[in-house]
Amino acid sequence: MAVPARLDKYVRTEKQRHFPKDFMTGWEDYETWSEATVGQSGPAQRTFVITEEDILDYNKACGETDPLMIDPDYARKNSPTGELLQHPIFVTTIAFYSLGENGIGTWIRTPGARNPHQRIEIIEPFKYGEIVTTTVTTSQKFVQRGKPYLQMLLDFHNEKGALKARWWCSLILPETQADVARFANA
Amino acid sequence: MSNPTFSKIETGYAFPSVAQSYAQSAIDHYALASLDMNPVHTNEEWAARAQVFGMPVTVGHGMMTMSTLASVVTRAWGVIGKNGGSIRYVDSKFTKPVKVGETVTATAKVKQKHFHGPGKNWVQVLVEGKDSTGDLIGFAEVGYNLPD
Repeated sequence: MAVPARLDKYVRTEKQRHFPKDFMTGWEDYETWSEATVGQSGPAQRTFVITEEDILDYNKACGETDPLMIDPDYARKNSPTGELLQHPIFVTTIAFYSLGENGIGTWIRTPGARNPHQRIEIIEPFKYGEIVTTTVTTSQKFVQRGKPYLQMLLDFHNEKGALKARWWCSLILPETQADVARFANA
Repeated sequence: MSNPTFSKIETGYAFPSVAQSYAQSAIDHYALASLDMNPVHTNEEWAARAQVFGMPVTVGHGMMTMSTLASVVTRAWGVIGKNGGSIRYVDSKFTKPVKVGETVTATAKVKQKHFHGPGKNWVQVLVEGKDSTGDLIGFAEVGYNLPD
């Protein structure tokens, strides 16, 4: 399925230029609710190098206007970190980039998924140049009122092993690959 | 209150509200910025056929809603405050999909003060988001570290 061409004008970062944006291509390789096993853990497909442009675009997309969040020159002189302050939900970008297109946690890309609940803890701000490794642990899987819920814990560490943030990511998912197919082929 | 302290902040303190457009252009920008390119947010034709939420239109990202809810606190006090405050967590639940074209208005109040000793105190803020019909679209608890 082609991604609408109008989205091209929002491509502003190097990662956005190369990121596979069509979530319908390769959906057969995404982990499904029925395949996921609680306790399974492993690294995400890719690491994420923190850049100024990644943070800047996320902040702008959230509608921020504070120069500490959207003016790199101002932030260099006035920010307590000497860098742009990042929106606390910025880990979303790290997760979608890092999880990739196959393997553990790729159910985050599932067509037909619904978002019931999320929890993000900020340990310390990310810094430009940090190489972030995302560790994925399938943490909960249950059916409530007939809806299949899946939760993973994403731990974000820098290249020195420091824990920077944690995200308990939950979705209500189509249960099996056949259920996903109904949405993918809609 | 741009430089809040734990000793002076009171439960019930109300933050200035935040209004965020969920026009398709805003959702499109968020899709690229977050790299969440699920077509339920960006592809009107697919959204009309699939009707993931039982309606034939695109919807905003749950993580975009979570960002709007968190922004109520961070715009008032800072992601890192001028006097050293900082955000510690955001915990969100989503109660109604945000249809394309909506405006979400988020409001917040300090719900609880957590006394953990000098340099370790923080407050819990309850944030609510409503759409233009007044329906609750989601709510969040935000933990924020405050200087003494």
